[in-house]
Amino acid sequence: MTYAAEISRANPSCFVFLVDQSASMSDPIGGGARQRKADVVADAINRLLAELSVKCAKEEGVRDYFHIAVIGYGHTVGSAFTGPLAGRDLVPLSQVADKPARVEKRVKKVPDGAGGLVETTTRFPVWVDPVANGATPMCRALSRAEALVSDWVARHPDCFPPIVLNLTDGESTDGDPASAAWAVQTHVSADGAALLFNLHVSAANAVPVTFPDTDSALPDAYARTLFDMSSLLPPHMRFYAMQQGVMASDKTRGFVYNADITSLVQFLDIGTRATDLR
Amino acid sequence: MFTSSLRVPKQGNTLRECEDAARVLPASDPGTWLAEPVFAAVADGASESLLAGEWADLLAKTVIDAVRDDECVLQDVDRFATALISAGAAWGEWLADYVAEREANGRPIAWYEQPGLDRGPHATVLAARFETDSSQVTRWDVAALGDSCLFHTRDDRLLRAFPVESPEAFDNSPGLVNAFNRDHALLARHVRTVSGGAEQGDQFFLCTDALAEWFLRETARGGQPWHVLCEFTRSGDHDEFAAWLEKTRGEGLMRNDDVTVVHVDLG
Repeated sequence: MTYAAEISRANPSCFVFLVDQSASMSDPIGGGARQRKADVVADAINRLLAELSVKCAKEEGVRDYFHIAVIGYGHTVGSAFTGPLAGRDLVPLSQVADKPARVEKRVKKVPDGAGGLVETTTRFPVWVDPVANGATPMCRALSRAEALVSDWVARHPDCFPPIVLNLTDGESTDGDPASAAWAVQTHVSADGAALLFNLHVSAANAVPVTFPDTDSALPDAYARTLFDMSSLLPPHMRFYAMQQGVMASDKTRGFVYNADITSLVQFLDIGTRATDLR
Repeated sequence: MFTSSLRVPKQGNTLRECEDAARVLPASDPGTWLAEPVFAAVADGASESLLAGEWADLLAKTVIDAVRDDECVLQDVDRFATALISAGAAWGEWLADYVAEREANGRPIAWYEQPGLDRGPHATVLAARFETDSSQVTRWDVAALGDSCLFHTRDDRLLRAFPVESPEAFDNSPGLVNAFNRDHALLARHVRTVSGGAEQGDQFFLCTDALAEWFLRETARGGQPWHVLCEFTRSGDHDEFAAWLEKTRGEGLMRNDDVTVVHVDLG
């Protein structure tokens, strides 16, 4: 149980993203940004998939170090991919990278080297569109993730443990999700138990929290439930979190409240890191 | 002196996917005695970089050419940093050709490649020079940035490990030369150099990190890993070396990573 297994094409791991697509996701996120929660969550998924693809890209294409499922839950529970991958669950990362629904051009501001900012366009692939419709069957979604994880570790017994990332506003409508969340984490490879992390997007106007080791700063019962459901960060992930300025301890959990979770990709080891000298 | 080099990809990868590089001048087979100065370099491209193997090869080639043109490059961190920046300039030209070729072949750069190309590849590098005078004393100079290592052995002893001296010092974030880094002072600050003398019969091994870590661990346990390596380098038998690596990795004694060794045998 070391979370140190090599991640390779011969010994890949998997990511299961659970995306809350319930009606409440049409509400704005807190903090005055006025962005809908559904937009924030879709953006987060698309960024995570893009970051993961870039991390695993080599000159011949993206290597299948991971297989990816994106499960939406709201009006129904099922694949949230749009475009060519619609309807599929676990997809090799190379296919994810090659088959976004579309690649948008987005404008972003970057430093101009003289103390100012200049606008530039970047390519932004999209696999998941914002959806807000129906109830919040989080327990069913977690059970779906559990089935995928269970099957994966049976077929890849030595893999780096699967990671399930749940992106939600936390308002489960089909019961207390705690036991379904625990069930996900009971599936183990030789390297450790499956990990369940949560991104909570909330309309509450509270301070963002990133990878906390206590629920004391969390504003409501939904956030505290999601915190309790989240796995402890394995030691190497704590190390990378600390490198990013998080005050991580052995009680730090894979939970983020109204903040960016793209840094999660940087917690994954696929070989020598391309770090710049300082 | 005799020279030989072996390069084996990590388990599961093809040789074409190996992101280590080795260059030795003059080029020769393991059985040919060289009386002239020998120049050798190894470089190890970072797994997370795009085109890391190509960069490692260009870096090793550029640095070794610089050392051949000016032997002081290995004794002076500033001159070595200048050689690293020259390699970066050469990379810019290489990359422009690569991108044009991809376009011409109907395979333009994909969205997921662009950030990696913009960032530029990263690699460690270690270069050395060996010259034997008429009294059979060999002077050697070495410079390195990152965790590729040189080992100097005599009979049953490891005389010098450079720049890493302990197996615990290896991690997955070594110092790396980025192809777009033009910060001369920063590069120079990370370069390490050392020089020394050697006798006839001494052995030198230039190794990339996984093999170097194994070498130091075996030495710390009282072993003499240089004798193990000599079995393969003297014959130059790539397949035997690959089979031994597979077994050693399988026993958990070595990380699964690309492996490169250059052996300089003073005879």
